[in-house]
Amino acid sequence: MAARAQVGRIGGRVLAGVGVLWGAATLSFLALHATAGDAALATVAGDGANPTQAVLERVRQDYGLDLPLHRQYLNYLGNLLTGDLGESYQQRISVTRAIGEQLGPTVALALSAALLALVLAVTVAVFTAGRRRWVRSTASGAEVVLASFPTFVLGLLLLIVFSFRTGWFPVSGNDGFAALVLPAVTLALPIAAVLAQVLRAELEDVLEQPFILTARTRGMRDTAVRLRHALRHALIQIVTMSGYMIGTLLGGAVITETLFVRRGVGQLMLTAVTTKDIPLVLGVVLFAAAVYVVVNLVVDIVYGLVDPRVVTA
Amino acid sequence: MRVRHKLRSLAGLAALALLAGCGAGGGAATGPGSANEPARGAALNAEGTPVSGGILRLSMNTDPLCLDPHAISSDVEQIFGHILTDNLVYLDEQGQPGPYLAESWQISPDGRTYTFKLRQGVTFSDGTPFDAEAVRVNFEHMLDPTTRSPLAGPYIAPYRDSKIIDAHTIEVHLSVAYSPFLDVLAQGWLGLLSPKAINETTPAQLCEKPIGSGPFVLTGYTKNQGVTFAKRPGYDWAPPQLKQTGEAKLDGIEVSWVGQDAVRFNSLTGGQYQATGYVPAQNAAALKNNPEFVYANVNRIGLPYTVEFNTSRAPFDNLDVRRAFAAAVNVPAIVATLGFGERQQSTSYVDRVTKYYDPAVKLPGFDPKLANQLLDQAGWTSRNGDGYRTKGGKELAVQWPVSQAGTVSPIFDLIQAQVKSVGIRVNIQLLPSTQVTTLRYAGDYDLTYGVWHTNTPDVLYIKYASFSIPNAKRLGQNTSHLSDPQVDQWLDQARQTTDQATQQKLYGQVQARLAELVPGIPVYDNSVLWAFSRKLHNVSVDTSHGTPLFTYAWLEK
Repeated sequence: MAARAQVGRIGGRVLAGVGVLWGAATLSFLALHATAGDAALATVAGDGANPTQAVLERVRQDYGLDLPLHRQYLNYLGNLLTGDLGESYQQRISVTRAIGEQLGPTVALALSAALLALVLAVTVAVFTAGRRRWVRSTASGAEVVLASFPTFVLGLLLLIVFSFRTGWFPVSGNDGFAALVLPAVTLALPIAAVLAQVLRAELEDVLEQPFILTARTRGMRDTAVRLRHALRHALIQIVTMSGYMIGTLLGGAVITETLFVRRGVGQLMLTAVTTKDIPLVLGVVLFAAAVYVVVNLVVDIVYGLVDPRVVTA
Repeated sequence: MRVRHKLRSLAGLAALALLAGCGAGGGAATGPGSANEPARGAALNAEGTPVSGGILRLSMNTDPLCLDPHAISSDVEQIFGHILTDNLVYLDEQGQPGPYLAESWQISPDGRTYTFKLRQGVTFSDGTPFDAEAVRVNFEHMLDPTTRSPLAGPYIAPYRDSKIIDAHTIEVHLSVAYSPFLDVLAQGWLGLLSPKAINETTPAQLCEKPIGSGPFVLTGYTKNQGVTFAKRPGYDWAPPQLKQTGEAKLDGIEVSWVGQDAVRFNSLTGGQYQATGYVPAQNAAALKNNPEFVYANVNRIGLPYTVEFNTSRAPFDNLDVRRAFAAAVNVPAIVATLGFGERQQSTSYVDRVTKYYDPAVKLPGFDPKLANQLLDQAGWTSRNGDGYRTKGGKELAVQWPVSQAGTVSPIFDLIQAQVKSVGIRVNIQLLPSTQVTTLRYAGDYDLTYGVWHTNTPDVLYIKYASFSIPNAKRLGQNTSHLSDPQVDQWLDQARQTTDQATQQKLYGQVQARLAELVPGIPVYDNSVLWAFSRKLHNVSVDTSHGTPLFTYAWLEK
């Protein structure tokens, strides 16, 4: 009975996920076409280019840009159903390949930033929760500052101190671990700040609970109480925050990758938007939406397994 | 990795200390002119006994996303073209077309038939021999709409067909006489590709893996990250103007795209790269004073950085209003602000290094009094509450759509403030580049701006002939929409004659006429700023575009 409810629930979520993807594709398609600017001109006739009319018309034909909008939309959806995301106007390769080529560095950046953010947030929260007033307000103040810092300013500060001045880390590029450090820190700090705030509040809540008192009366040391008992309960908040984290990671990647001249999906998105590379923008939007949908689905399933009450609720 | 980096910095410090101790500045062989303005064709930092080997790490600005020279307009091709490909023609130090893969040529009296004698024994890196058929296939590839050529094709637009006389003689027929033909053949975008590669791959595939006959071969390309080139074994057909033969000295060139100015500058001085094709103007002074680097600032041939009026609609269809606007703009002040001392003020509608540049031409200067007088004369006599001039209740306001990828250029604000004092309102519209491009071809603006680099005075045809005005049937670069029968006639005549004295007279007349018609305000002569480590030797200055040429460059061990 419970198993069937579980399957039905997941099925519903999957359907909703497909709906989200369709909505994202449709809205982005409309938004891209509604903004002023001729995509064919942008593709071949930007600054310093002097193409002939024949070239321009050829591009319009090749990409169906001469068709009425509803035809273009139906063609796009039709191709999407067969798994074809189209060809990038600027790169002249399939969108799938264009994203695939840039995915590795972004995943590496996002994962290391997420890991770093978690470690930082947990450490800070565990050691400051329920402490003296000045400790908490100093930590909390630093977190508010970090969380509200624009990513590019933070990144630039790190660059100036740890790269331009000291030369400890390379200024830019994708070469190895050293080049990953500053971008990952830039991306991680604001996330860590928000997570630490949430975690501390949760920890302080848990630390008030009777079972903590029980543990303490058993003679358990403070650090052990915090790590073994309180943290375990507070961590569920992190799972809830995963949507926020992914959003910030993807959004932050655009800025971080540009600033540190790293290859990746963020950079790809930025160039695609500025050159009105419609299939590529749609591809990245769909990709980002798919990541959201999948992560939320996984979180849902995990919740259901951890706490069966969620299923019936 | 980090240890090596530190060692390098230590070595750098030691070198600095030595230099300081000796009191030597590090004089470079930069040819005639000032130390920072090397002449075209000069070999920079050429001292020492060449050694082979080493990989040159080079930083560039933005990835063109395609490496087929015929399919892009990106200015990286000025550098890449001469790494990967060879051209039919190479300009000499005076800008005259000289031999390269074409050993000699004859031009028919009507200027429409060019017969090229081709160099023998040249092969592309895939083994395909270079011959007359290869040249024909290349011309047709440039003109094929599926190639989407933004420059190479348009530069040879008058091409009609070719007749192959024998394996190494080709007769090229043009539909009209076109005297800049030989000049444009020397440009990086017109480098020659293997006909086998052209015929057997799609244009999109060719973008990723173009095959040339040049001193280096493309060995890797990761979009938005970098390109690697390796030395071509057996290469022995460099342009005779380089006065060197044989293979390249470097084992290879590793190129990375570094878009941010600050990052590009710091990664160069920090030793991550040994050369950059794009020195940010704001960092030029620092590099100039750095004894570990050779810095070059080379003027480009073509249209200066120019603010253009749309002469096809009010208010700039009125010559007095154009003259008034130009007189209200303090060009020297703008050049000082924008150029960080690295740019020279323009003195004509072509950069001063352009063939047939006329130093006698006088551009109208900064004269606010004259500006006010001309505007009164044009009927803009009353002023509104904001201090702007009005005529019949209508404000003297102009639209300026602009786009900037990174930071907004101060030029827009400077001009806006300067012309306000004579009562003209400039509305700056900051838009995405796609929208600016669309407005530009639709002619929907009052002011626009730009440069145009080529290697011939025919840039004046591209920018100011009526034929080049964009319309519904034709794209074009005459963004001032200037239409003057006299200018048209002279520009056409200059295309029809190969007589240099006649060309000089015609192009001089055009420049003088443009100074009267005021289709725009030439601001500064644009230049390429590049730099490289003193450990790198014998970098030549390309005669077409003033960019670095690495064919026989070598690295100290």
